[in-house]
Amino acid sequence: MIARMAMGDRQALTSLYGATSAKLFGIALRVLEDRAEAEDALQEIFVKVWQNSGRYRVNGLSPMTWLITVARNHSIDRLRARRGHRAAAIDEVAELADLRPGPEETAIAGSMRSRVDACLDALDPDRADAVRRAYLGGEAYADLAARYGVPLNTIRTWLRRSLLRLRECLGS
Amino acid sequence: MSGWTEEREDDTAVAAEYVLGLLEPAELAAFESRLEIDPDFRALVALWTEDLAALALAIPETVPPARIEAALMRRLFPEQAQPFWRRLGILPAILGGLAAALIVLWTTNAGLIGPQPEGPAYAATVAAEDGSLVVAARFDPASGLLEVDRTAGAAPRGRVLELWLIADGAQPVSLGVLPDGAEARIEVPEGQRGAFVNAVLAITDEPPGGAPGGIPSGTILASGAVTTL
Repeated sequence: MIARMAMGDRQALTSLYGATSAKLFGIALRVLEDRAEAEDALQEIFVKVWQNSGRYRVNGLSPMTWLITVARNHSIDRLRARRGHRAAAIDEVAELADLRPGPEETAIAGSMRSRVDACLDALDPDRADAVRRAYLGGEAYADLAARYGVPLNTIRTWLRRSLLRLRECLGS
Repeated sequence: MSGWTEEREDDTAVAAEYVLGLLEPAELAAFESRLEIDPDFRALVALWTEDLAALALAIPETVPPARIEAALMRRLFPEQAQPFWRRLGILPAILGGLAAALIVLWTTNAGLIGPQPEGPAYAATVAAEDGSLVVAARFDPASGLLEVDRTAGAAPRGRVLELWLIADGAQPVSLGVLPDGAEARIEVPEGQRGAFVNAVLAITDEPPGGAPGGIPSGTILASGAVTTL
């Protein structure tokens, strides 16, 4: 009986993997910018999904949002751990690819995506870029302050104001 | 922000900072304890999580190499990659149990086993699905002796038959190699005598001398659930 249940679960996981692994791997690759590490991350992401699938129902998110969030958060954690371990990596961080969407990504339009992008585009380009860097680049306030050459408190005030404008635009 | 209270603004901003991972450890702890008790706050976090996930949704897909899925499955379902005993279906176990009960009736009626000892005893019919190998087993915890009677089948040429005790959810423990003769008495190690309740007995074919390292290596030839008499 247990073996059969395990078989059923395994099939469910196989379908989920088939449907979403390319999307989640794309996210891990984009955040980590390292293929081997993104491969490790993808495995960990699905282990987390598997272990926490019982909690998914109660968090009120759509299934894809939940999967994306697990993938993004795990990748960011890895990225931050990597930065922490390499004290000399500041320059490398500064060389991170531009996180604004490229033409290829712009071509892939989703209604959700255009809404948040449209709202980000309504912000000052630097501020929209800072939001994207925090979300997909895992940058903390200290990183952003260094990047834009402003004090920590200033960057925080500035980003919080931008987030409020973003929320107004997105609606609640 | 017209119409928004300052508190609502602050909550909205801090929820976004949380989702972005911008909070300092001390802020994070305070935030998370509030998150547990405040459903409105949780709704704000869910809203930001949904909206910002759209940024990741826009990233192009990349098909991962096939070995990642294989490694994931091995990691989450190790039992299907190796040991046979976890693959034992429930049906053979039930059939085995029924057959064991019948055999016990038969053996006791025929006086093969002798007078019933005091206290519980255990029996199993360890049988192949097609009946090509059938071993009746009866264990008396008082004496620690397991009596086996092979009523059908034999070891494949150049191999020996090894008997395994598989307690519920545990790894198989070898009870020894069955002798060439049909009947035998096996002394069960002290530590295994309590392990017969709801256990399964199984027989594998192994190289002469028994399974290397005490881990089954051959094919499972027969199995049966242990019933309490």
